[in-house]
Amino acid sequence: MLRADEEDASELKIGDDFLKAKCLMNSEVAILLEHRCDQMKHMSGDSTTQLPQVLEKSLQYVKRFSRFTNQGSVKQVREVLSRYQLAEFELAVIGNLCPENVDEAKSVVPSLKTKGRGHDDEAIERLLNDLLMVKKFE
Amino acid sequence: MFLKVQLPWNVVIPAESLDIKGLMLQKSIVVRLLDEFASRKATKDLGYLLALTTLESIGEGRVREHTGDVLFPVVFSGITFKLFRGEIAEGVVHKVLKHGVFLSCGPVENIYLSKLKMPDYDYVIGENPVFMNSKMSKIEKGSTVRFIVIGTKWLESEREFQALVGLHADYLGPVS
Repeated sequence: MLRADEEDASELKIGDDFLKAKCLMNSEVAILLEHRCDQMKHMSGDSTTQLPQVLEKSLQYVKRFSRFTNQGSVKQVREVLSRYQLAEFELAVIGNLCPENVDEAKSVVPSLKTKGRGHDDEAIERLLNDLLMVKKFE
Repeated sequence: MFLKVQLPWNVVIPAESLDIKGLMLQKSIVVRLLDEFASRKATKDLGYLLALTTLESIGEGRVREHTGDVLFPVVFSGITFKLFRGEIAEGVVHKVLKHGVFLSCGPVENIYLSKLKMPDYDYVIGENPVFMNSKMSKIEKGSTVRFIVIGTKWLESEREFQALVGLHADYLGPVS
């Protein structure tokens, strides 16, 4: 574990445990949690069942902040972004915020600017275009 | 950030729930795990526990002396939520105070954006108080705000996280 003051997501310092963990985009979590909630309601046989608060709040959040809603396009987003040698964390932030231009992308994911990682402006531009295409055809 | 993690966990199955039929054992373990998962809410290291997705493996059970309960080491995958320092995310304003606003993001409700961290915004008093800057950009109850996490704190007694956030980078602030 990292000491709290060493943690810095903008430099991808989020602790070894989490770098290996799979980061999920809001759109993916929405699909997973909705399925889970239906299951829980189904199991209890009562559609008015109270869900645990943490789950309920998260579900509301991901529904509001999902950029992609169609299951196929959610899968596609991950596929498209996976081609760009991003860390899991970076991939999820880009998928969640869908930056509109290169400048914005570098601002919300500062680790993209790290030298030697091959993310020049051109590559980022291509990535954002690919993302836009998925959105267009959703 | 939502994460999919693999967690090792110990599940204790009371002697009376042990069944000769193997299938029932797996069910008891899952039920038990779900119960504990739901009551735990969050842990300091992993963040908020949202859902259990798969039971990956069940280890060799060990009988506990005296009670006869059996302890099974298991590994499962689940979905958690944790805010990291330096992370950029979006949240919803749920309270506007004179000194700043409170936001919620995922399961976390105590996310504080202080007035000091949004120097170009001024508090405007009223029935529905708002923060507004010279470009008439507004932060009010229900607004979506993109922020950067400055720090997080784990509260052991409430089993909750608090976070301090700011707007001190480009492309942060209210999102329409």
